[in-house]
Amino acid sequence: MTKTPTTVFQHRFGRRRFLGATAVGIGAAVTGTIPQIAYGGSKTIKLGMNIPLTGDYAPWGLPGLYGCEIVAQRLNASGGVEIGGQNYMIEMAAYDHGYDTEKAVQGFKKLVFEDDVKMVMMLGGSTVASVLPLSNRKKMLTTTLLPSDITPDSNYLVATCESHPLYNVTGVEWLAANFPNAKTAAIVTNNDAEYGLQSAATYKAAFEVEGIDVIDVNLHGFDVTDFAPIVSSVLAKKPDIFCMATSFYVTPLMEQLYHQGFKGKIISCTLDYYDEIIAKTSKEFVDGTIYQFPDFDDPKLTEDGINFPDPGGFDTSFRKDHPNDWSAVAWEYPAILLDWVDAAKAAGSIEPSDVVSTMLSNKNPHFVFGEGRWWGSQLWGLDNAVVGRWPVVTIVDGKARIQEYRSVSAWLDKNKDVLIKHMKALGLRTV
Amino acid sequence: MELFFQSIINGLIQSGFFALSAVGLVLIFGVMGVVNFAHGAMTMVGSYTIWYLHAQHGSPYLFTLAIATMLVMLIGILMERFLFRPKRDDPLGGLICSIGVLFILQVIATVIGGEGPSKQVPPPFHGTLVLFETLRVPYQRIFSIGVAVLALTVLWFFLVKTKLGWSLRAVSQDREAAALQGINIDRTSMIAIAVGGAMAGLAGGLMAPLTNINPHMGHSVIITAFIVTIVGGVGSLSGAVMAAVLYALFHTFVTTYFSGTIATISGLLIMVLVLIVRPTGIMGKAVSE
Amino acid sequence: MLRAKPKSLAGIGGLLLLLGILPYFLKYHHQDFLIFLIINVLVVVSYRLVTLTGEWSLIHAVMMGVGAYASAILTKSFDLSFWLALPLAGVVAGASAALLSYPLFRMTQFYFLIGSFAAGEAIRLCWIHFIYPFGGTSGISGIPPPELAGIDFLDPISYHYLVMAIVSICLITLYRIEKSHIGLILHAVHWKAPLAESVGVNTWRYRSLAFIIGSFFVGIAGTLKVHYLGTVTPNQFGIGFMVFILIWVIVGGYGKFYGAILGVVILSILDESFRRFDEIRPAIYGAILIASIMFLPSGLESIPTKFRARFFASKPAA
Repeated sequence: MTKTPTTVFQHRFGRRRFLGATAVGIGAAVTGTIPQIAYGGSKTIKLGMNIPLTGDYAPWGLPGLYGCEIVAQRLNASGGVEIGGQNYMIEMAAYDHGYDTEKAVQGFKKLVFEDDVKMVMMLGGSTVASVLPLSNRKKMLTTTLLPSDITPDSNYLVATCESHPLYNVTGVEWLAANFPNAKTAAIVTNNDAEYGLQSAATYKAAFEVEGIDVIDVNLHGFDVTDFAPIVSSVLAKKPDIFCMATSFYVTPLMEQLYHQGFKGKIISCTLDYYDEIIAKTSKEFVDGTIYQFPDFDDPKLTEDGINFPDPGGFDTSFRKDHPNDWSAVAWEYPAILLDWVDAAKAAGSIEPSDVVSTMLSNKNPHFVFGEGRWWGSQLWGLDNAVVGRWPVVTIVDGKARIQEYRSVSAWLDKNKDVLIKHMKALGLRTV
Repeated sequence: MELFFQSIINGLIQSGFFALSAVGLVLIFGVMGVVNFAHGAMTMVGSYTIWYLHAQHGSPYLFTLAIATMLVMLIGILMERFLFRPKRDDPLGGLICSIGVLFILQVIATVIGGEGPSKQVPPPFHGTLVLFETLRVPYQRIFSIGVAVLALTVLWFFLVKTKLGWSLRAVSQDREAAALQGINIDRTSMIAIAVGGAMAGLAGGLMAPLTNINPHMGHSVIITAFIVTIVGGVGSLSGAVMAAVLYALFHTFVTTYFSGTIATISGLLIMVLVLIVRPTGIMGKAVSE
Repeated sequence: MLRAKPKSLAGIGGLLLLLGILPYFLKYHHQDFLIFLIINVLVVVSYRLVTLTGEWSLIHAVMMGVGAYASAILTKSFDLSFWLALPLAGVVAGASAALLSYPLFRMTQFYFLIGSFAAGEAIRLCWIHFIYPFGGTSGISGIPPPELAGIDFLDPISYHYLVMAIVSICLITLYRIEKSHIGLILHAVHWKAPLAESVGVNTWRYRSLAFIIGSFFVGIAGTLKVHYLGTVTPNQFGIGFMVFILIWVIVGGYGKFYGAILGVVILSILDESFRRFDEIRPAIYGAILIASIMFLPSGLESIPTKFRARFFASKPAA
């Protein structure tokens, strides 16, 4: 029995993949009719990914495609997905915009008009802003990892999994609870509005709530090649905590901290490719770093209340097929895929507008870490972001380990005014 | 106060890279009259060589460093022979050709390295030297500044004490007079770009364990090289080295006390200022147009 | 006085007609491509005016951005109508050029090249650094489309006609400038600057004028671009795009008015057809660039002349 290919490569990821994709494409063309007969009248639907597969932002796009392929394959292997009485096979359609807004618009159009996708998954930021008018006009369900993309009229934009930068407060809460002697913090991160500043504002708010004094905020541009002066400048103020917020430069910053002999607590949003960081510094140095993204072979993911089937198996498959590519987003896009499946089943329809309205009218939306609720109107105009609990992860003996789950929801109920205050102070858009 | 001294150390180390890149560019422009826009990309090739042979395939670092240097030297020689030499009387054409080479090199790097996140090379020399209990210099950086200083010294020796070096200087001062003296312009040009390319490759190889490696890393290299070359003086190598040290210190201090973007903007504005007030730079001679 | 030959008028008319109905035969993706192509035609023709003075500036792409940002801020933050913002954006770009011409035109040749590059990068870094009002690396989004009598300008076909209309007006103006008295002096400054100066022509003033006018029109091109996209970011106008402009003008040729247009059209279509090989596209571009400099230094526009010369030239006198 020939397996239906689950992925259609729309754009280039390297010579080997291109040839592989061509082979798959030819195979699909040749055997196109057989699967339909084999699966008894299954139709195929495409789900779009308009993400960076190349360039600086690739770590937050490409691994997500790999993850979705694995999950889609599993769904199809178990017979597909039944929605509204019809069985569907899922195919991923990806477009590489390389984080260029022009290409993001082109990609969106191509996916929606030419590929007829039922959903467009995106990373977030200016690329999402550039497609919002289209998303609204075409009533196309669009997902993002950054709730800060939500505007008062982005009715078809939802953030069902990641709620950046809100979940960062959990790391700070855990740090304060476990290291009460850490009283001062410095924040060093890139100065872009969508990642760095959003994150910096959130960390500042979280530090304030815990009574930790933020003694320095150093926001740098994307053109920095040498981080030595920045780190020297910050360490001269002797902070107990070094916070990298959502930085694209975690590796060079960690290197500098190691070389310049920092002995305090390090906290960050992501810690992608931490094996490389350990190779450049040392295991003893990296142990204890606090961040927010688990490896999926973590035992705490098999507990009750986690809405991700067989996380360990997913982790193994991923590492087997893509040994060096695991990043923070590897499981997030697949989680959104599963959120879509859940909503489509409940709606009994694959049409984007039906799925969106079902999602938004569900008071307890499908969320990877358990219970979630819609939030966001206080900050961005619409309750289109799911918040619930989020894991706090540290490196233990060279490996990522979830320490505990903390509630983002509860923090927001108590402290959202502090957060709004800090966002306004950094000039970020709030309603 | 220790921040001040640490910044001086940070700046001096940076100056090694700036100097190597700038010197290569000055040599090529001085002797051949052409602006090599591919210079940053050539540095990138040096870094990628280290990544591919040393990090991915385990070739020893020092050996690979030599290979990186020679590989980029070869690229330079090929560029001279097939692109710059036929276009000797059309410097704009030569510049455009170098842009073409820049694109091609970037694509080759993309194909070899694959797309995706920047590559990292673990440093061959681990550990940090601690001075006076507060000043810290990683051994890898000491190594790179040491090699840079060594290379520049060898270059100085070559230019000042050898006949070949004199012929290079003669051609950069006055090509026609040099030709009349019997100096072979073709050969001299080739040597200039070979040396310039070698410097770029060496710089890339030294940078590899210390920075993010990706096809576009040459962009900041070429901007810095331009600034340093203009400020130091377009025809002058010693000017370029001096400007490299000064600019590295300037950039480091402004970054430390203000921000990196302000540092680059200021650097560019200084360059424009120099171009207006004293286009030949601090130590340069007038270049005939 | 514009004395156009009836044959060329008919040719141009036919071309415009073709262009007018083309979008109906294209997919969405390619409709967009066509809009950007027409905008880029304005970019290269305005650049050609600048190069008429013999100086090659590297700041043209940034000037496009100056117009784009100006229009974005005017329409979004000050609620100005697109139809007012469009010419104003051009004026802002032109005025910036006027200011910059003081320091820049003291340099020549190589130094002007580097100086214009540095000034452009500095401006671009200001867009990145000053989050208010330029939005930093993320730029500005939510730029409103033009409004006129209820036409939906988000629809590619409507925008296509808008762009055709505005770009045509600009091209006609640029053509008339070049054929006018000013254009003659510009040519003189290019080819025989010392001679021109000897009859009292202020070369500095005319170089600046070309630079200012070129910047005005490319500022308008920038406005057209970002009101379709809805977002403006600093990376759209960096050295990457500037290099493309250079390539289009050089490969197409800059001796005749239409050379640059040939370059941008042919290269853009080639580029788009290689979309499947996206990974190696820049290398193809690079190879074309090198081949063009080596084997066709006068550009694509010289092909008809060479063709005619080869096949229709009378035998040289013995």
